[in-house]
Formats: sequence, structure tokens, C-alpha cells
Amino acid sequence: MTDVALKSLTKSFGLVDVIKGVDLDIKSGEFCVFVGPSGCGKSTLLRIIAGLESATAGEIIIDGRDVSGAEPSERGIAMVFQSYALYPHLSVRDNIGFGLSLAKLPKAEIRTRVEAAAAILQLGPLLDRKPKALSGGQRQRVAIGRAMVRDPKVFLLDEPLSNLDAALRAQMRIELTDLHRRLGATMIYVTHDQVEAMTMADKIVVLNSGRIEQVGTPMELYNHPATPFVAGFIGSPKMNLFEGATAKAEGCTTYGIRPEHITLSRTGGKWQGTARHVEHLGADTIVYLKVEGMGELLARTTEDFPVAHGETLFASPIAGREFRFA
Amino acid sequence: MIRHGLTPRQRNIGIAATLVASVVFILPFVFIFFMAAKTKREAALFLFTWPSEWQLWSNLTEVVVFRDYMLLLAYFNSIIITVGAVTLLVLFGAMVGYILQRRPSGWNKLIYAGVLVGLMVPPAIVPTIWVLQGLGLFKTISGMILIQVAYGLSFAILLFRSFIATIPRDLDEAAIIDGAKPLQIFLRVILPLLRPVTVTLIVVQSIFIFNDFTNPLYYLPGKENVTVQLTLFNFQSQFQSQFNLLFMNILLVTIPPLIVFVFFNRQIVAGMTAGAVKG
Repeated sequence: MTDVALKSLTKSFGLVDVIKGVDLDIKSGEFCVFVGPSGCGKSTLLRIIAGLESATAGEIIIDGRDVSGAEPSERGIAMVFQSYALYPHLSVRDNIGFGLSLAKLPKAEIRTRVEAAAAILQLGPLLDRKPKALSGGQRQRVAIGRAMVRDPKVFLLDEPLSNLDAALRAQMRIELTDLHRRLGATMIYVTHDQVEAMTMADKIVVLNSGRIEQVGTPMELYNHPATPFVAGFIGSPKMNLFEGATAKAEGCTTYGIRPEHITLSRTGGKWQGTARHVEHLGADTIVYLKVEGMGELLARTTEDFPVAHGETLFASPIAGREFRFA
Repeated sequence: MIRHGLTPRQRNIGIAATLVASVVFILPFVFIFFMAAKTKREAALFLFTWPSEWQLWSNLTEVVVFRDYMLLLAYFNSIIITVGAVTLLVLFGAMVGYILQRRPSGWNKLIYAGVLVGLMVPPAIVPTIWVLQGLGLFKTISGMILIQVAYGLSFAILLFRSFIATIPRDLDEAAIIDGAKPLQIFLRVILPLLRPVTVTLIVVQSIFIFNDFTNPLYYLPGKENVTVQLTLFNFQSQFQSQFNLLFMNILLVTIPPLIVFVFFNRQIVAGMTAGAVKG
């Protein structure tokens, strides 16, 4: 069953087309990540699904019902904002229960539902604090709690981890994935960070300047990128992409090879270059090779193959892992 | 333990500042108090001296009882005008400021022009009285309240608008997602966050309106409409002035704004330090 469907959705701000015709099906219970560079329209798309922006044309169908003209609160969605958007004057309890109290639910029911959500998110001891007395991760959890308590069909998350430090972000990635498994709800998650997309998504939607570039599971996008844009966006470090003479020699317009699919050698190989820069990441080493007539080539190697700055090396692609885009 | 002592220089400057402040603020008050306690004859000498005979209580009763308890009526009128006008100022100022800041439209320029005109153009008395007469509001308390609202609204709108600009729009949107209607967003999310600026406005405007002398003099004639500042006329005339009673009246009229200021002053400071609006 399809839970969220977008049909030829467009959005223009004046003369600028921000969303240029998006068709998308998201299945019930899926963790779907919109990923793309800033300005690609991913946040706008999420806000259109939420109902905070109206689409210029097209349909939004949630759970079989066309909600294009419906109020945000009638769409069966809940949203977590990048800035968390907690009400500063309300306690954690009232923040989570705000929507329920607006819906005029009985006090006892609000209390039990807020406490149930707080128990899942381990917010129990913090219920009577104000948001300013919470840490970033705790605020994040309150924002998620506020979404959870409304029991939505679809969770919309707008870059929820971008305000957290790296360690906390990694931890929250796991917590969010666990939460998704536990609730079984559909989640639409917007991020510009391809690592978040790769690690959390069931389905990744890569957006580029208002269009869907490719939709697929993380490994599909990694192994079979449809366009050079997707190839360059998914994977870390970035895929080496070459146009012009190098690509022509390979019989295509864009030639791509991932750093991890290059073998380095001191005796011989396809390309010869000098190590311009070497990054030691511990288990991995990233070598920036300067190849004559081709440009810069990134290669990943392990600590078994130590590389010194300025060394001359040979690099060869692993057969079958090269990409040739017409 | 480190002692944060003052250097002699800092201490001397501090003492000097305290002295200057007490000369400016305390001495006039003490003078009023002494005058209010004197007899009529002694007060007429207008000297800064200790009263030879304390008549505080009898002066007080005389002022209160004077002209059939006029002072009490004046207190009642002034409080109605002040509370009514300040309530409307806060409500309308916050609402207009909110809409101006949050919903840009073609009308905004026109509204801003109106607000600026309200700040810059001095009010003309006679045409205003014509308008009030035409509306049947001249010589009425409600007319006076509207006059005070009109005088203070521009300032209130600008104050609220700039403060609302610091409240992240995400909060409005979160409330929309939570199912709040526009009025609920304003009343339950925005208005509570405006507390620091609301307190400031309440203090500034209520002291101004309570202490206003000229506007009630023009727009609110009539014995039954008297306000506190106008009661000062009771003891001052061309031929005879009772300075002891006049100063007792001043003392009584000064006390309410003083209480408001002392009470809310802490709130202003508390509101400003706790004014962390960021979500």
C-alpha cells in the first residue's frame, strides 16, 4: 500500500521554479530520505507535504486521501524542525501535550499519552523542565516526542540532526532508526548529509535543482547510480568523475571510479601520478594523486600500503566497478 | 577566597553618584513630604525646613474629603482610564505588530506610513474635539481611553513588531502543525513570549497615562470626569493657595506610579535576563 504519493508536484516562487514536477510513491512504514545539496528544493518539498507551503500544481495523497487543500493538522502528519521549535515558555510536558490540549482532549488522557511518549524517549525525569534547561540532544527528543504524541501516519523530519555535534549525531542516527523500527510509522527525512541518508534510509530520493534525480535503496544508489550527479553525491569520499579527454578515451561523456575501487601499486598500473596530499584516517588512508593530463584522482588504501607525500604511484581501477555515463 | 573590593577611586565615584542621585530624586520627595506635613501658614513660607507642627493626618483627611471626596473619584477615573488604555494598547499593539511582522502584504507600507504619521505628527486639539463630539465621545471616560490608545499605539506597534521579529517563525509553524488556529498561535505561543516587552510597555505607558495632565484637561472636562492630576487645581487659585494641602495632594498622586515602578522594575530586569527566546 502506498502511504504518501506525490503526483506531478510543482512549486514556483514568482518566476523561480523551485520544484519542477515531482512524482513519488512512499510505502507505508518506509524510512524515506530526501537528500541533495542546499537549494535543491528538498526542504520546500517537505514543507509542501506538511502543508506549510502550498503547491503551485499537483496532488499530495496521504493514506489514499488527497490532502492538497487540507490544513496541516488534518493531514495526519507531524513535523520535527531543524531548530526543534520548542515553545520556550512551556515545560517539556506542555510542549509535548500542546497539540493534544488544542484538540481539547481530556486532561487525564493527555497526561497518559505524554507520559507514554516520554517513557519511550527517556524524557520522564525532564517533564517539568523548560526547554532552555535541556541539552541539544534532549531538546531533539522533546521535538520528536511532540511529533509522536499526535500519533501521525507520517513523520516529517527537517534536518533534525544538523544542530548536534558529531558524536551525538551518530548516536541520534541509531536512536532514530530504532524508533522508526519500533513505531513502524512512515518517516520522511530531509538531510544534506549523504552519510545520514545512507545509514538510515530504506529509500533515498536524490534531488537536484527541483527534480528527482534517482530513487532507490542506499545500496542501489551506491552500486547503480543513474547519473553523474547521484554518483558524485552518494559515497564518501566522493567518486572521481572525469569529463573531456579522459572520458572520451573510455568511450563516454563522464567517467567515474570510486576511491575505494582503485588499487595502488609502485610497479605499474593504468595511471601514473604523484601523491599530492595524504589523509590518514586510521584504518583508511586517502591519497590525492595528481595525474598528468587527467587532474586529481582520489584513492583509498589501507595502512598495509603506506604512502609518503610526493611519492610516485600507479593507480588502476578494479574491473567492473567503473561507471561510464553517456 | 577572592575579595572583590572596590578601589578607592571606584568607591569615591560610587559615593558621588549616589549623592547626585539622591539630590535629584530624594530631596524633592523629602521637600514634598515636609510641605505636606506643615500648617497652611508655615507651608506658605516655602522653606525646606522640618515642620514645626506635624499635621500629616489632618492634612490628609482634609485633602481626601475636599469637595465631596473628589480625590477618590479622581483616583477611580484615572485608574479606569489607565487600565483600559494600557490593556487596549498591549492587545492591539501586539496584534498589529504580529501581523505586520509575520504576514508581509501590499498593505504593510500603508500601515507603516500610518504608524509613522502617528509618531511624528503632533496631535491637534480642536479638530480632535470635533471628532470626539461627532462620535458622542467627548467628555466621556471611554473617549479619553481611546485618545490615550491613539497617542500610544504607534510606539507600541513598533516596539512589539521588532520584538516579534526575534521570535523564530518555526514556532508559529510548529503550532500550525499542532493544529493551532491563527488566534490560538497568537494567544498561546506568541503573546506569552512577549512578556518582557509587555511589562516594559505597561510600566512606561501606565505611568505616562496616569500622570497625564494636559490631555484630560482638554478632552475630559466636567466635574464628574476629574482625574488625579487635575485635582491639583483644587488648592491653587489666583487669590489663595493652600500649599500644605497641594503638596499633600501631590504626595498622594505620586504614590501609585511609584508603586507600579518599584513593583514592575524587578520584572523588567528579570524579563530581560530571562529573555531567551531561542527555541
